Amino acid sequence: MLKVDNLSAGYGDIIAIRDLSFSVEAGQILAFIGANGAGKSSTLMCLMGLVEQKSGSILINGQDISTTTVEARITNGLAIVPEGRRVFPDLNVHENLIVGGHVTEASIMKSGIDYVYTVFPRLAERRGQSAGSLSGGEQQMLALGRALVSQPKLLIVDELSLGLMPKVVDECYAVLETLKQNGIGIILVEQNTERALSVADEIRVLEAGNLVWSGTALDAKNNTALTQSLMGLS
Amino acid sequence: MLYLELLFQGIVQGSIYALIALGLTLVYGLLRILHVAHAALFTLGGYVGVIVTNATGSFTLAMVVAMITVGLIGVLTYKLAYEPLLDKPPFIALIASIALFIAAEEVFRIVFGPYGLSYAQPPLQGGFEIINGFFLKYAEALVICISVVMLLLLGWFSAYTRLGVSWRATVTDPDMARAFGVNIQNVRYLNFFVGSALAAVAGVLVALLNNLVEPTMGSVASYKALAIIVLGGLGSIRGTLIASMALGVIESFGTIYIGHLLDRDALAFGFLIIVLMVRPQGLLGSK
Repeated sequence: MLKVDNLSAGYGDIIAIRDLSFSVEAGQILAFIGANGAGKSSTLMCLMGLVEQKSGSILINGQDISTTTVEARITNGLAIVPEGRRVFPDLNVHENLIVGGHVTEASIMKSGIDYVYTVFPRLAERRGQSAGSLSGGEQQMLALGRALVSQPKLLIVDELSLGLMPKVVDECYAVLETLKQNGIGIILVEQNTERALSVADEIRVLEAGNLVWSGTALDAKNNTALTQSLMGLS
Repeated sequence: MLYLELLFQGIVQGSIYALIALGLTLVYGLLRILHVAHAALFTLGGYVGVIVTNATGSFTLAMVVAMITVGLIGVLTYKLAYEPLLDKPPFIALIASIALFIAAEEVFRIVFGPYGLSYAQPPLQGGFEIINGFFLKYAEALVICISVVMLLLLGWFSAYTRLGVSWRATVTDPDMARAFGVNIQNVRYLNFFVGSALAAVAGVLVALLNNLVEPTMGSVASYKALAIIVLGGLGSIRGTLIASMALGVIESFGTIYIGHLLDRDALAFGFLIIVLMVRPQGLLGSK
């Protein structure tokens, strides 16, 4: 579904990722692991068109989206759950979800919001409440929900578990599991290596902007040297 | 009866302040630029209003033409003066804005003449009796009505339309709004169009109340609108509205009761100083 070849990206003269190639199929979870500054978030932002792409190609279902706008990428099925949740604090829960559906047709947005409210009943209860007044866990649900309003085919998730109670993290990952079963592809960046190894199908390890290891989660778990060095990161 | 009359005068003046200061707040909220030249657009609105009314005889048409032309010129101001300076520190845009304001006043002097323009047959000059002995001019009633309608429209737009919600999202976190496909550039255009069009409405109305537009009509408005948005807590729309009304009413009563000590404009700044001593973040601003 998503095929990335020789992707390089960065900010001005600074190169954040070099010659990255990977692909994600429908119903598959791919996790990026690496230290801070390894280029994980830059990779995700570049897929969304928010970090300047220097070279390489990004194909969605065979269509190259490298030079398209963020809007076109969302229409093509991408959506992001950003690091640090980044909900719009001054807007209420419902309005946050409306922004999530900014580029989609009104009917899709409406059914998307209804879907989010069934997945996270707590958001439905708090629909009129300002997002800034929600707890961290509720904000993460809102950030996840906001990305689901456009009914994406490929969900990009940055640091879902950061600063959250394990129970909330479980709840959010359960939703990702459901999405995966519904055939949605997921790319995630996760500081918690154990968590990443347990949910992902495929693992990619980044170091200073380069891909240093790739394989299935099973291979990664069986590779003691790798897991030991990865555990050291979290 | 005098109290009621003063209160109404204050509300009329406060409505004008609100229409002017809203545009300034919108620009500050989105770009963190103090858009001093905004007051020149207010003056321009007055000129367009008088010229179109005199040429066509229709005050309504004049209002619409003023809103559209001044709105577009506001967008152009952003495009030409501010957009190239966005990655510079905000005071550079402020200096550009002050320069633009001075230049605009001179352009008005050259193009429309130094003595100002008046309506050939000023519309809505009559009045009606609200309760016995207290009259309100049609023009003053119109100021209040138009302000209320404009504010309700703006409130409805920002709360109940998808574009309005995305606009507010952009003000809070432009990068994140972009991640959901909001076109930041269009939001900025919209912002300048709406803010400038509101200033144009204020200009047309002030020209009607005074039956005069002069090149320097925006001078007092420019610094008073700055005082209002600081008072309201920079970037807060509700704060701006409250500050506008408060200032209008305080000026109206103050001119009668302590006018012999402080003139109208000094009162405004006295009020500003007192409020900022108590609440440095403004009436509704966050720290």
